This record gives sequence, C-alpha cells and structure tokens, in this order.
Amino acid sequence: MSSERILTVARAGREAVMWEMENDPSVFVLGEDVFTFGGVFGTADGLGEIFGPERILDTPISETGFIGLATGAAMAGMRPIVELAFIDFIGVCFNAIANLAAKHQYLSNGQVKIPMVLMLGAGGGYNNGAQHSQYLLSTLAHMPGMVIVAPSNAYDAKGLMHAAIRSDDFVVYVGQKKVAGIGLLGSPIKTSMAAVPDEPYTIPFGEARIVQEGTDITFVGVSWTVHQCIQAAERLEAQYGVSVEIIDPRTIVPLDREAIFKSVSKTGRLLVADEDYQDFGFTGEVIAGVVERDPTILRSPPVRVANPNVNIPFSRPMEQRVLPTADRIFEATVALLGL
Amino acid sequence: MTPTSDQRKAMYTSIVRSREFDDRILELYFADKMPVFDLGKGLIPGEIHSSHGHEPCAAGTMIHLLPEDTITASHRPHHQAVCRGLDLSKLAAELMGKKTGYCAGKGGHMHIYSQAHNFSCSGIIAEGMGPAAGVALANKMRKQPGIAVSYMGEAAANQGAFHEVMNMAGIYKLPYICVIEDNNWGVSVNKQASTAVARNSDRASAYGVYGEYVEGNDCDAIFEAMARCVERARSGGGASILEIQTFRLKGHMLGDTMDYVPKKEIESLKDCVVDYRAKLIEDGVVSQIEVDDIIAQVKKEVDTAIQFGIDSPYPEPDDAFNGLFAGTSR
Amino acid sequence: MTDVIVPNDMWDDDREGVIVSWLYLSGASVTEGEVLCEVMVEKAQSDLLSPASGILTIVEEADAIVSRGQVIGRVD
Repeated sequence: MSSERILTVARAGREAVMWEMENDPSVFVLGEDVFTFGGVFGTADGLGEIFGPERILDTPISETGFIGLATGAAMAGMRPIVELAFIDFIGVCFNAIANLAAKHQYLSNGQVKIPMVLMLGAGGGYNNGAQHSQYLLSTLAHMPGMVIVAPSNAYDAKGLMHAAIRSDDFVVYVGQKKVAGIGLLGSPIKTSMAAVPDEPYTIPFGEARIVQEGTDITFVGVSWTVHQCIQAAERLEAQYGVSVEIIDPRTIVPLDREAIFKSVSKTGRLLVADEDYQDFGFTGEVIAGVVERDPTILRSPPVRVANPNVNIPFSRPMEQRVLPTADRIFEATVALLGL
Repeated sequence: MTPTSDQRKAMYTSIVRSREFDDRILELYFADKMPVFDLGKGLIPGEIHSSHGHEPCAAGTMIHLLPEDTITASHRPHHQAVCRGLDLSKLAAELMGKKTGYCAGKGGHMHIYSQAHNFSCSGIIAEGMGPAAGVALANKMRKQPGIAVSYMGEAAANQGAFHEVMNMAGIYKLPYICVIEDNNWGVSVNKQASTAVARNSDRASAYGVYGEYVEGNDCDAIFEAMARCVERARSGGGASILEIQTFRLKGHMLGDTMDYVPKKEIESLKDCVVDYRAKLIEDGVVSQIEVDDIIAQVKKEVDTAIQFGIDSPYPEPDDAFNGLFAGTSR
Repeated sequence: MTDVIVPNDMWDDDREGVIVSWLYLSGASVTEGEVLCEVMVEKAQSDLLSPASGILTIVEEADAIVSRGQVIGRVD
C-alpha cells in the first residue's frame, strides 16, 4: 500500500475521469484535440491510448455543433464530458450552453436530464492576449441551470470531477490554466498540489472550504485567486500581524453563502478576489449575499479585487496591472485597515 | 495571368522577409522560457503560431491587393502582416508588448491591427470572415472600390461562421475572398478526421460562389488562382473560396513537438523558401548573387526591427485603462 | 537500494531537463511502476516511473535541472 501521493490539479482531475470511464460505459469524452493531444491543457492526457477513439472523440472545431451533440447524448442517457480548450470560445457556442444544456431540465419539468460535464480552460497572466486569457465565470454563473465548479487544488479537483460526472445535472468544470500544473505555464503552484487518495470520493456542490482560519478579515477567492489570497495573507501576517481567514467556495453555483456569512460575522471584514471582470460579477454577488442578510456585521466597507473591467491587454506590465494579484490584495487590505 | 519576373521576385522577397522575421522570433522565443517551459516568460511571451511554411499563401495573394482593399488575418498572422507591408519594427514591438507596437502592446501576436493597411486580426478562428464580408458589403453599398479578403486555416471551415458568412457572401454577391490555408492539421486533428469533404473549395457550390483549390504551396500557382478570384470580385462577379495547400513546418504553435504527425508526413513537408528560390534560379529570374543580396537586405531589415522592439519601452501599467471607448460622437 | 535515474531514452539529445514535480515526499513508501515525478524537456513532459518498491528518498528536488542518466532519488 502506497503512501499518499501529492498530485497536480490536472493529474487529479484526470484520475477521476479515468475511474469513471472504467466503471461506467456511458461516460465518454469529446472535444477539441482530446484523442492524440490529450487536450490542450492536459485534461485528457493519455486517455486516448487507454479508451480508444470510440470513447475519446476528437471533434472538428465546431463548438456549437459538438456541445449541442453532447447535450443530445446526455438526453439519451450517456454521460458526456465535453472539452473546450479555452473558456473564451464560449462566445461561439453560447446558445448550446445557455439555451440548450442549461434549460432542458427546467423547461421539461424534469422529464429531460442533462448529465453532462463541460470542461473549460480559463484565466490569464501569461500574455496570451484578450481572446485567450479571460475568466468569464460570472458570464456563465449569471445564467440559471448550470452547476459551476472551480477547483483550486488537486484534492478538490478529483472530488469535484467525480461529483460532476455522477451528477444528473449539467456541470461546468472550470479549470484555471495556471492552477492546472501542466508544465506549460511554469512550475506548479505549490499550494495547488495536494495529497490525493487513490480511491474515488466526491465533494458535495455548495460546500466551501476554510483554507485557513483568522480573525481580522475574510478573503474569498476562486481557484487561482485562492493562491493569491494565501500569498497576501502570509505577508500581512508577517509584516503587520494581520490574521486572515480564507474561504474557497469551490463551487460557484451553488454558492455556500452560509460559510462566507459565518466567516464575515467573525472577522467583520470582507475582501473578494476574482480574475473575472469586476462589474456585475462574482465579487459583487458574494458581497450582496452578506449585506442583504445583515449589513451590520461589517466593520468596514467590503473590498473587491478583480479585473477592473477592461479587456485583457497583451503586454506584461498592463496585464499584471489588471490581474487580481497577491500584491493588489495585500495593498487593498493595508489601505482598508489603515496600516 | 502569369506573374512577371518582377512580380515573382517581389513574391520571393516577401516570403524570405516573413521567414527571416519568424526565424528571429523563434530564436528569441526559446531563449528565455526555460528550464520549466513558461509561456508567460521572456521577451516574447504567450503563444506564437509561426508562419514557417505558410508564406506563399500570403505572398501569392496579397500581391494582387490594393491599398483600398481590406484584410482580416488569422491567429497565425505574421506572413499575412509582412506580405501586406506592415512595418516590421512596429510588428516586432507588438509581439514584445512594447509601447511602440502597432497596438501599443494591447493586442500582441494574435491581435495585430493597422488601420493604415486596412489590416485586422482575430484569434478566434473563422471570426475574421464576418468582418471581411462586412467591409465588402459597405464598399458595395457605397459603390466604393476595394475588395475584402479573410485568411484562415482549413479547420476553421468547420465553424458555423463559415457557413453563415459564405451564404451571405453568395446572396449579396459580395466582393469578398475567403482564403483558406490548408496545412492539413487543426492543432492535432488531421483534416480527414475533421472535414467531410476533401476540399473546402468544393463547398463553394453550396453557397453559389466560386471555388478553387491550389496544390503545391507554389507562389506562381497561387498568384494565378488569386488573379481569377480578384478579377471576379472587382468586376461584380461576387465572392470566392480559394483554398491553398500549404505546410505547417513548426507545428500549431512554437514548442509543439508534433508527435501526432506521422513521420512520413513530416519528411514530406516542403519548404517553400528553398523550393521557390530553386525555381526562380532555374527559370533565370534571379541569380544566386541576387538571392544572396535579397537575403542580406532582408536580414538587415529584420535586425533593425528586432532591435527597435528590444530598445522600445514597455507601456505604463495604467495604460491598461486607456481606450476602452472612443468617447466621441458624430 | 535502487537508484531513481532519469532514463536515457526519456529524450534523445544532450539537452537538460527539469523536475517539474514529485508526486511523493521523501520517506513515502512507493510501488514499482508508479509515477514518481514529472520531468520536462522544453515543452515535452514525461512521467518517471518508480524502479522498485520501498521507501523513497529524494535527492534532486522539484525545479532541479537534470541530465539523462542522472540519479535523482533512491528507493530502499
């Protein structure tokens, strides 16, 4: 019996896909570059060799077509896992996602189920320009009918992938490219690697994880920004003795508003970090979830650290300026606490 | 219409210029991204889809285009930009994210814009088609000269946009040409595995437009085929699909190990720069001395451009906030 | 004791690679044939498998530059 392995996010997610495929013949993968290439961001690495072209299907670059097709296969009782390399590409297939896959269950009053997973590569910070760097989580989360998960570490990646595949609902699995740890974007983020059991396990949707406990301020981050929160919190603790509590919601829809409210009740302060465009997005939603329940628990105004609503510029200094980095989180906290 | 000696020399110079430029980009690209490969590191960060091998698709077509014509380029745009006559220095600076680049660093490799050249770019495949057809429509409505040409890879023809735009180009009889650079691969997927017909140019009949396929990645053959498409567009004859066989010499993007391409195919890849030079020398169009002069001259241009990029300043971080809206009204 | 060695056939020239990540900590018990670490050369990443079953000792940590044939750990 081996000791616990420490895996990257990509490897852990893939392990769940593999286990489900071995144990359920209705699970299959289709999408761009999955068969020989293993997915642009390694989500299907090695699966083609194991399961063959019958179950790992390369598609043409026809997103509207293949997401519609997967929706149909799901209606017929299969459990498709659809790979879309870049979340930015939802622009060419938004109808299939939001008007078909996300609506059938509801409109049919539950007669039709869509047990489908849509895997997306998201996020920037590596100078890939405005059409290959977006996060767009809130664009999807704004539409009803999709469960949305966004793992920040390998343990959650495996558990959420098992849960996503087994769910009878349409689940969007948002993989942050820099969190994946695939070697294409430098060394894996240390805090994204985690001990992962060999056995399958699920993580329930809508259950946040307290990354670290603290008393002075609550940070809420998603995937990559969880790690930015951790780095900022380390510096705040070391330099100013600030005690930060960090919450990782893990699933965006449904959102564990209770865990966030509880934490803010304790700390009295809230900072939300998100890589997506700030306005009309996740950061505002998290804050609304707290203040509409009880605004008096806040000792100071809530803070948002997100993309300040500009398209993502290619050039490094400009891109770094609009990313919700640990530096920005640190500085915003220093300003808030008047340190 | 066959190309004159001067035209052939011009096409050769264009493909050499594009190749020398991309060779320098490639060299710089790998110089500072190791040991753990990191796309976001170095002087030229992000994905680079190099044009190695694709040069004739631009050189043989753009030679027919006039300043008033419009080009929408693909995610693999360097040869398209170079052959359209964009300034190598501003191009190099943009790839480095410098303030002096065509888009002051906002665009980068997949988003090169030069309004002075009627040149724009999209990194989402086939999405250049609509805007090109739209410019063609505007020109037609205003009875202005100028045709529009979009460039894309063969795998992009399986996008919904292809069907939608070609159909409209057909019904509106637009002065528009869809140039398809057929390198046989959409990232890792072979054309046979992704496309139900052997040639996308055969799809032209479904839209009532003209279609032609050119084999061999040869500047002269491309020149002749494009001449027919351009003549049709300029004379009110409507749109065309021009598909060109080409070769992707450096994979989908720099660093692509191409393990998925059969060895036989890799061995059979043809290098247009070598082949076209041999052809021109054989035909007595250029001498070896002239070729050496062209290469030396182009190398100098490229050196100057790269140095300009290196020496140029980065934008200020807060420049990110400029220019989201024009903010003006009529 | 069995050395964990970067196989000579992992890549086919004299470039240097880098250890991207270890899947176990030093002191973990590992099984022959399991993936122990990920090694990268330029953009190609490969899995390095455990040569034996036993207790792992890491000699070269993640981010270390390595050559083919180099000993990067031990299994006892």
